[in-house]
Amino acid sequence: MKAKSGTMSSTSPAGRESEQEQAGGAVRAEQRASGPGRLIIAVYGIFAVSATARAAYQIATKFSAAPAAYLLSAFAAAVYILAAVALAKKGLRWFWTSVAAISVELLGVLAVGLLSVFDAALLPDDTVWSGFGKGYGYVPLLLPLLGLWWLWRHRPGRPGMR
Amino acid sequence: MAVDGFFITGVVICLVSALICIVAAIIRQPPNDITILAVAAVELFLLVYGVAAVFRQLGGEPVAGEAWEFWGYWITALLVPVAAFWWSMLERSRWSNLVLGAVGLTIAVMLVRMEQIWDMAGTAL
Repeated sequence: MKAKSGTMSSTSPAGRESEQEQAGGAVRAEQRASGPGRLIIAVYGIFAVSATARAAYQIATKFSAAPAAYLLSAFAAAVYILAAVALAKKGLRWFWTSVAAISVELLGVLAVGLLSVFDAALLPDDTVWSGFGKGYGYVPLLLPLLGLWWLWRHRPGRPGMR
Repeated sequence: MAVDGFFITGVVICLVSALICIVAAIIRQPPNDITILAVAAVELFLLVYGVAAVFRQLGGEPVAGEAWEFWGYWITALLVPVAAFWWSMLERSRWSNLVLGAVGLTIAVMLVRMEQIWDMAGTAL
C-alpha cells in the first residue's frame, strides 16, 4: 500500500498519478486518512486532547464531588483517542475499530444528552457530552455523524469504486 | 471580565489566521507560505503571551484562578500549531489548510478559557 499517495497538487504528475490510484477500489478504501479525512482526524485529535485534559483535571481536583460524571469524562476521552488513532491507521481491523469507537461516541452523546435533559441530578457536573455537547458548540454531536458518513463512503470493497 | 489588550490581540490574530487558512482551502490551495506563516503568527503570539504572563505575575498581577491550570493550557496551546503543522505537511492538499485553520479557532477558544482563569470571571467551564 502506498503510504502517502494523497492529493498533493493536482497539476503535478505525482498528483495525477495518485488520482488514478484512487480509482482502484482497494486503494480508495485506504484513503480514510486523506483529504477531508485529515480534517476529521484533526478534530478528533483536538477533542482527544481537550477531553483528556478535562477529565484528568476533574478527577485530580474534585473526584468525590461527582464521580459518575468524571468517570464518564474519562471514558469519553478514551473514546476520542481511540477514534482518532483508528481513523488514521490503515487496514480492515482499524476500519472496524473506528466504526465501533465512533458508534459508541454517537450513542454516548445521545444518551448523555437525553439524560442531562431528563435527569440532570444524575450527572450534576458537565461532561463533554452534556446537553448534546452544547458546551463545545454541538461539535460532539455533529462529529460522530460526520465520521460515520466518512467511513461509509470509504468502506472496504465499496461497490462501484473498482 | 476585564478584557485586556493581550487577550484582544490574541483572539484577533487567531481569527485572522483561521480566516486566511479557510479562504486558502476554499480557493483550492495546498498549504503555502502564507497559511504556514499565519499559523506561525499564532505560535509567536503564544510565546509572547507566555513571556508577558511571567512578567505580569512577577509584577504583582497574579493569576486569580489556579496558576498551574493557566500554564497547563498555555503548554497545550503551544503544541497545537506544531502538531497541526506536522499533520498538514504529511499530505499537502487543500484540506490540510482547514487543519491549519482549526489551529486559530482552537487557540482562540483556549485564550478565552485562559483569560477566564486569569480573571476568575467565568467558572462555568
